[in-house]
Amino acid sequence: MKRIWFIFAGLLVAAPLLSQGIRDSLFTIEAVEVTGQRSFIKEEAGGKYTVVDTSILKEKASLSLSELLSENTSVFIKSNGRGAMATASFRGTAASHTQVSWNGISISSPMLGMVDFSLIPVYIIDNLSLKHGAASISDRGGGIGGSINIENRPQWEEKFALSYIQGVGSYGTFDEYLQLGLGNTKIKSSTRLYHNQSQNDYTFINRGIGNLDPETGEVENPLDTNKNGSYLRYGLVQELYVRPHKDHLLSLVYWGQFGQRAIPWPTSYEGPDNANLNKQDQASHKVVARWKYYAPVGKFELRSGYSGIQMDYLQERKVPGLGTVPDIYSVSDQNSFLNTLSYERELGSRFSVEGKLDVNHHEVSTIDTVSGLGYQEQRNEVSLFAAFRKSFGERLNMNLMLRQEWVDGRAVPFIPFLGVDYRLLKGEELILKASVARNYHQPTLNDLYWQPNGNPDLLPEEGFTMEAGLEYQKSFRNQQVKTGLTWYRSDIENWIMWIPSTRMNLEPINIEEVLSTGLEYDLSFRGELQNFSYGITGTYAYTSSENRGDPLVWGDESTGKQLVYIPLHSGNMMLNLGLHNYFFTYQFNAYSERFTTSSNDLSRRDWLYPYFMNDVSVGGEFRIKKVRLSAEFKVYNLFNESYHSVLYRPMPGRNYMVVIKFNL
Amino acid sequence: MKQLFSILLLLLAALTSCMKDDELWDFERLGVDKLQGVFIINEGNFTYGNSSLSFYDVSSGEVLNDIFYNTNALPLGDVALSMTIRDSLAYVVVNNSGRIYVMSASTFQYRGKITGLTSPRYIHFVSDSKAYVSDLYARSIAIINPLSMEVTGSIDVGNTQGGFHQHSSEQMLQYGKYVYTNCWSFDNKVLVIDSERDVVVDSIEVLKQPNSMVMDRYHNLWVLSDGGFEGSPYGYEAPGLMKIEAGSREAVVVHRFERGEQPSELHINGGGDTLWFLNRHLYRLPLEGEAPTLPELFVESPYGPGFNGGFYGLDIDPASSELYISDAVDYVQRGMVYRIAANGVPMDTLRVGISPASFCFKQE
Repeated sequence: MKRIWFIFAGLLVAAPLLSQGIRDSLFTIEAVEVTGQRSFIKEEAGGKYTVVDTSILKEKASLSLSELLSENTSVFIKSNGRGAMATASFRGTAASHTQVSWNGISISSPMLGMVDFSLIPVYIIDNLSLKHGAASISDRGGGIGGSINIENRPQWEEKFALSYIQGVGSYGTFDEYLQLGLGNTKIKSSTRLYHNQSQNDYTFINRGIGNLDPETGEVENPLDTNKNGSYLRYGLVQELYVRPHKDHLLSLVYWGQFGQRAIPWPTSYEGPDNANLNKQDQASHKVVARWKYYAPVGKFELRSGYSGIQMDYLQERKVPGLGTVPDIYSVSDQNSFLNTLSYERELGSRFSVEGKLDVNHHEVSTIDTVSGLGYQEQRNEVSLFAAFRKSFGERLNMNLMLRQEWVDGRAVPFIPFLGVDYRLLKGEELILKASVARNYHQPTLNDLYWQPNGNPDLLPEEGFTMEAGLEYQKSFRNQQVKTGLTWYRSDIENWIMWIPSTRMNLEPINIEEVLSTGLEYDLSFRGELQNFSYGITGTYAYTSSENRGDPLVWGDESTGKQLVYIPLHSGNMMLNLGLHNYFFTYQFNAYSERFTTSSNDLSRRDWLYPYFMNDVSVGGEFRIKKVRLSAEFKVYNLFNESYHSVLYRPMPGRNYMVVIKFNL
Repeated sequence: MKQLFSILLLLLAALTSCMKDDELWDFERLGVDKLQGVFIINEGNFTYGNSSLSFYDVSSGEVLNDIFYNTNALPLGDVALSMTIRDSLAYVVVNNSGRIYVMSASTFQYRGKITGLTSPRYIHFVSDSKAYVSDLYARSIAIINPLSMEVTGSIDVGNTQGGFHQHSSEQMLQYGKYVYTNCWSFDNKVLVIDSERDVVVDSIEVLKQPNSMVMDRYHNLWVLSDGGFEGSPYGYEAPGLMKIEAGSREAVVVHRFERGEQPSELHINGGGDTLWFLNRHLYRLPLEGEAPTLPELFVESPYGPGFNGGFYGLDIDPASSELYISDAVDYVQRGMVYRIAANGVPMDTLRVGISPASFCFKQE
């Protein structure tokens, strides 16, 4: 197993060297423009940033963001199955330590502190950027792991654009996407509609159920279907941009979505077919209004947004004569009002300042209408941010960021960040980066007020992070190499864990200390030759996330162990090849073993073996008069492997999808 | 370019090695034949499907973990809750898998299953061919035939009068032809079932949320209520211990705990004259004559004052009166069991499965 990791890591490291050879021997074409991402920006000094290539966003438009993040970034996604909830963790931290924003406003649930990334279609994203670790302080506090930022962008140059995507796949899967763009250089509208649904009724050998063969007495495992696993998601994104004057930009963006999924029984379930039926509905509405003013004295931005999430969780039985009877019917309403005023100014060419004020208000009400259990609470947040960025000569950038937050009037300890970038070789994009920062993450409203046993006395989680890295990029003629290696160390104290209180109840306390150290490596390498184009992008992460807390009791074996569900090694690679109008994509994704016990038991039962997933797709693009048409055939789980990615939840075997795109 | 492709091909070839799903059932099976010992039922985590059975051989001190899976290459299921031995067979109630697994109590070999149960909790044998299965959500008690391993009927116990979906059924005890079951969830009743007619014939009001009960040698039912919790929509009262005379069904409160205390796991020794329960620590209450004394602290929890939890499960070997106390630690690692002699002397510490919740004693 280790061998494979070495080969994989070796290839990623060797690739830039390899590119050298290829350039020398093959590429003689005149230089074309390669849009390189700048890496020596004083505003980003010391931080680790990832911008996902827009070509990847386009190619994976019919996937959910959870799939894209696990396939193309170093973020670890814990997915509970196909179409099921998926959460993101950076650098071995908890899902709640990842801050998520959409067009600048936070869309993390104030109740749970996290986002279900399986519910975000890549289709609605025009720009996806990640800030690893403390770099997220520039957006908001609390992103001890990092932040994921989703943006929409106007396409000013297009007067009219119409596109439609139809996907049809295995297990009754249908995806429809429609986009209409209208406008001119002063006003622009974009409308996106989408609809995804799947029966998700794949078959598997059910190892959780044993039938005794009456003749031989042997235990047999039946062939089973993923019952009650269907999902449905549809939504609308409406963007409106107005540029009344060259110095002013106004925008209003709305995103509404409804998602519904049935939650399958445990695979070992042999209860009645009409009982324990679990279902989850989520309706969300987000809207953000922005005004950007490029004044002579600096850039102002006023942003005001709303994020509302309604989540219903239902467990019901069908009773003859009575219809359906709920056993649990939990209804949660979450409303967040989010406002930001910011100001940026360049003072000369070498010094810039930034100031920001955030004022947010959250309301959560949640109740199980069957038992009457629930809570209704709110939270007010005020955050002040100031940053000072300076360039010293051509080779040194410095970035000092300071943040002070108040939660319900109480000051959170001060959040500072200091980062530097140093250009190692004059004229080359070879940058040494380093930073040190402190960050705080507030307990979620569930941590504080959950009935029973929410703990209003919880302290914020505290992270102290150091990191250092090297980044290199080079564009020559028509190819580009970009690579980076980052080392980090985060000491997280007062980590909140839900531990047993009394039988059947848990309570959250500030108990754990976690030391998370690791490496992140990424590589992107692309180029063109006449009708041939290629691209390889890959990431590798080494993530040691160790429990450093005191044992709860003398027999507690979790101290010094890797946190549950965090793989020590993870990596992915995507290969794109294009010839004339045809394209081929190979996607590989892997994780090393994951533990489900805090003591890292290696018993077969509690251990998730290493995961290797291979997908391929082929397609072509054609033009019929004004219509651009493309067709693509995708194969998921190429080697038809039986596997599971959470305990006892078998995943689908080889499956297929056809995607047809029309562009006008 | 060729270089690149050959490396990619090599890489592809290296990666086709499969994931190790086969290891989950392709292994050497456990083959034992045990006369006597203690089963530990490990609940595991809800929806993880990682519950398991452990076996402690008292004479040798050997602990066998995950015995059902290791014997049958079949996982026990999701949240195993309780186990009862009848003759040579053991019946394991697997709550969130909606079934009862039947296995040999000595070789642990899988013998069959009773399926179609909504949220089964405990099994109680009325006779060789009739048993009751209590249930958290069904609002009925399932009647099963253990011989044919089939559900043969049900006893409706539901109550929708009080604004709450009431009468989940938990533990069961029998006096004469009457079976008593405590209703824990948002409830304050002990129901009385006529086991000849399979109907509820009476209900006894007790303190809020009776979580466990036992019967002493004088045919008194002892019921421990946790009182609910602060802020519960059903209401909250100080927890307490009640005594119900099984024949007359007269109930009296014997002991009242402080508000905020969370007593659970009421058990009785084999002689039926000493009560044991958990209330952060382990307590004992000898039943001497008519007026019992206050519960006395017997073993202190190893957890500091910041922790409400600590001990998780409790039982008493009916033959030796030795105590078995379980500790689930953080719920996500293999838990521990302390074996303690009746006089309080520690005898052994066992490392068992995840969330060890209850015990079952196999006598020779």
